[in-house]
Amino acid sequence: MNRNRLLAAFISHITNMVVHQILEKAIDSPEIAQSYKNEIKNSLTIAKSYRGRIHPLDNALPSHDNREVRDKIIREVRTKLGRRMAKGYDNIDISLIEDFVDKALKDMKVIED
Amino acid sequence: MDQIYLPKNRIGLPIGQYVTILPLEVQLKQKSVFKPYFYNVRRLEPLKIELIEKIFNIVEQIKPENIIITGSFLEKGFRFNDIDILIIKNDKIDYKKIQDKIEDITGIKTHIIGLSSDTFFSGLSIDPLYRLMISKCVSKKRLTFKLKRNLNYKLLDYQLLKSDVLPDNFDFLTGDEKYYLTRSMIAILLFVQNKKLTKKTVDAAIESTFKISVKDIKENFIDKKGFNKIYKEIYNNVSELILERIHESK
Repeated sequence: MNRNRLLAAFISHITNMVVHQILEKAIDSPEIAQSYKNEIKNSLTIAKSYRGRIHPLDNALPSHDNREVRDKIIREVRTKLGRRMAKGYDNIDISLIEDFVDKALKDMKVIED
Repeated sequence: MDQIYLPKNRIGLPIGQYVTILPLEVQLKQKSVFKPYFYNVRRLEPLKIELIEKIFNIVEQIKPENIIITGSFLEKGFRFNDIDILIIKNDKIDYKKIQDKIEDITGIKTHIIGLSSDTFFSGLSIDPLYRLMISKCVSKKRLTFKLKRNLNYKLLDYQLLKSDVLPDNFDFLTGDEKYYLTRSMIAILLFVQNKKLTKKTVDAAIESTFKISVKDIKENFIDKKGFNKIYKEIYNNVSELILERIHESK
């Protein structure tokens, strides 16, 4: 399978996961917050399955790849959350983006700990 | 000769009176005729109706307010993966035993969702995917669908986000997964537009929008470029409709 397509699929799920993590903190309804938590788990599971197909799990991705992956995820999360903030979605804390992205990528050994 | 013993002290059966002898099971079956309510289910295989009767009999033991069967089990044929059962009951109970019993008797994987009446009706008024699920069902008691829609834009935003991943994952998703994500997106659109929400109306909207049959989507016979182009356009439109009013959901 084409590696670039796998990377795009992987990026979309990590992006989705981080967007959900931040919206879960922004939302005031416990029921919807719980749904966000479920979706975070779901995205993480799928992202993990792609990660193993991109590069051996015990090695981090080559540095040019991991920089590109990290930057792209941060950019996309920022765009998605920015749209919501512009429309009046309150309590979105965009200062959390980089920490959440780094944690997810370290957990999946995309970048070194 | 077979003999039947009757107690000496009995009421309403005097000595010498002619009687009919029937097995108790037959008599009970004749008394309680199984009459569930079918919603948008035009035809169901007799075997499935028998299974539903068995399920209702098992669930009845916990005295629920209502029992609803929904999902792929009600589709034509036997391609379903499991049986989705909604049990409406106001007391909280553990459904594991009921689930095990149903699985033992039917031999089919069972997915039970337990809800109180309030949660059930609130779900119908705010949740398009839930409303879509219930639009085709078999229930023990009559259901009311004429509930006013209550639009919670943050909930809709959450539900729509799930469909966001389709274009980037196109090559890795099965036809059924693509159909599920497309169906959710279109159901949300129809819900926001206050249009009728049933499996039939959603499928018709998918087919007219994407110019492709639902069967072809499920079988993954899809032109990637054309499909993704329309999908992204619709996704952005629905997202815009929701975000325009997101400030209304506090």
